[in-house]
Amino acid sequence: MLAFELLLQGLVQGSIYALIAVGLTLVYGLLRILHVAHAGLFTLGGYIGVLITNATGSLALALLVAMPAMGLLGVAIYRTCYEPLLGRPPYVALIASIGLFIMMEELFRLIFGPYGISFTAPPLQNTVAVLGVNLKEAELATMIGGIVLIGGLALLTLRTRIGTASRATVTDPKMAEAFGVNIARIRDINFFVGSALAASAGVMVALLNNLVEPTMGSVPSYKALAIIVLGGLGDLRGTLIAALALGVIEAFGTIYLGNLLDRDAIAFAFLIAVLMLRPQGLFGKG
Amino acid sequence: MQEKLIRTTAFAALLGASAAIGLSGTVLADSVKIGINVPQTGFAAADGKSALIGAQLAAEQANANGGVNGKDVELVVYDDQASPKSAVPIATKLVEQDEVKIAISGSYSGATRAAAGVFQEAGVPYISAFAVHPEITRSGDYVFRTSFVGEVQGRAGAKLIGESLGKKKVTLITLKNDFGKSLANGFKEAAEKFGIEIVSEYEYSIKDRQFGPIVAKVKSDAPDAIYASGYFFTAGPLVSQLRSGGIDVPVIGQEGYDSQKFIEIAGGASEGVIITTSLDRDSDSPEAKSFIAAFEEKAGYKADMVAASGHTAMKVAIAGLRKAGSDDPKAIRDAIAGLTLEASTGTISFNGLGEVRKDVQVQVVKDGNWHRHSIISDPDLLAPPEK
Repeated sequence: MLAFELLLQGLVQGSIYALIAVGLTLVYGLLRILHVAHAGLFTLGGYIGVLITNATGSLALALLVAMPAMGLLGVAIYRTCYEPLLGRPPYVALIASIGLFIMMEELFRLIFGPYGISFTAPPLQNTVAVLGVNLKEAELATMIGGIVLIGGLALLTLRTRIGTASRATVTDPKMAEAFGVNIARIRDINFFVGSALAASAGVMVALLNNLVEPTMGSVPSYKALAIIVLGGLGDLRGTLIAALALGVIEAFGTIYLGNLLDRDAIAFAFLIAVLMLRPQGLFGKG
Repeated sequence: MQEKLIRTTAFAALLGASAAIGLSGTVLADSVKIGINVPQTGFAAADGKSALIGAQLAAEQANANGGVNGKDVELVVYDDQASPKSAVPIATKLVEQDEVKIAISGSYSGATRAAAGVFQEAGVPYISAFAVHPEITRSGDYVFRTSFVGEVQGRAGAKLIGESLGKKKVTLITLKNDFGKSLANGFKEAAEKFGIEIVSEYEYSIKDRQFGPIVAKVKSDAPDAIYASGYFFTAGPLVSQLRSGGIDVPVIGQEGYDSQKFIEIAGGASEGVIITTSLDRDSDSPEAKSFIAAFEEKAGYKADMVAASGHTAMKVAIAGLRKAGSDDPKAIRDAIAGLTLEASTGTISFNGLGEVRKDVQVQVVKDGNWHRHSIISDPDLLAPPEK
């Protein structure tokens, strides 16, 4: 019973990781940029979610605003920060990204205050029994939301023209362009989708903790990097599996290794172990 | 032409402004400077804000009452980001450049401990408002502390659970830093004395907000009470998740919870949570009452332990300056060592190591506010370390 409960808790956490990491892996696959500032959009998504829910009482409206708004902001970050740096070595964009992320954290603190903000009447806080285990509605929503959103995205990339074009661009940008794929548009779409998903994760975390703080993105910012490496950089399915697996491993690790290893260290211990055995990542093609 | 005129006017205005600043600077030169290092940015900025407003309030109150030895008190504030790396240059700057005769810390243990060494070396009295690490006062005889060390508060927690509440099977959920660890040590030290059996202990890091796995395990441990260390931003999500996980045994915390923000985050789940702390909201003491009212007016939000501690530390510094009657650091140090003072955190005095002696205030959340639960007044149990 305890094992099942830990498994569920791990999947909840894993869904959050997955929603954040998907955007990162899309960007990496396309541009070879490690987009650290992505976690800033996750945090801002949380802020917008709480503020709109508090103002209107509607969580659905909050999600409907937060996701496209962060999607657009993601595109704006790409156009203003990364696009001008595309010809430079990748670490230049990485440094720009880290700087942007620090700036965002401090802006959140200045604008929204150092204490963080909470829902005045947090939605989805009732408990429901799932196969004999009590879960908060918010936890259930996180799991289902994560699976539906990422599953939907995977379907889109497999079944639609834009998806095919996107995959073609990842594999060989020059060839895709020669076949008439509008690469600039594909990049915009990837930033939009990835950032919108990160925003949904931000709102979910706000619901789970009833707290959005300026530094909420600092752990996900680097842990998501570990996840996309595990998943095989740029691989959507691998990222999803790695995120869920890490969530579950952390859940068990917190209880059984907690006195030896920090929860946040588990991700990196796992990363090191995997890289020693499979340097191309869990699902990367050697 | 027009543009040039505007530019010249603007320049003249700036010049005038800087002259005015220069002028006020000379007026202020006849003031007593008190240094304070406090986190204004970074993860501890929230506590830093409360501590600073508390300290400013104490300075304003002193200035309204004739200042110190005929001079106004002036705060010299530096942002240390709660980082030891920044605290050392700041302490050096306060001593060498600002030439303060006394300073206080409104920061966490890491930064305070690092700065304490610099002040001790320079022979400038330094008062830690709420940092808990035992090594801080061991820097030397110029370093004082107005808050409990973690161990003392941990022992008080054991008495509260084992004796007052009569709960004997306890699970510890410990924040993995100097604050949480020292609380847990104090708790374990006194547990046997109060017949407490510790059935399990889990640790978490300061960045954790998701406690699902711990909640699941605690449920299967079925303790009579939970002693959980943390700050409002970890304890809020923790308590909320414990309750929604179906655990309804008493949760006992400490001064880290002591903020209205804890109640806001945990919502209904915060009802009945009991903590050991330094600020009694239902106090009859005029000092505490007036502080609580004045702080809320100045800050725009309710007073918390950190605010009261910042206020108390500044009050001690001012009382030391007044009693010494000079700006000789040695005289100020001796004055502080011999003080007995009514402050917002109770009647305080210091032992030979510079550790505070005061009662532990036990507060409980009732109807969305902190209220008095009881007071632990047991000098033997609460004796701070002497060396």
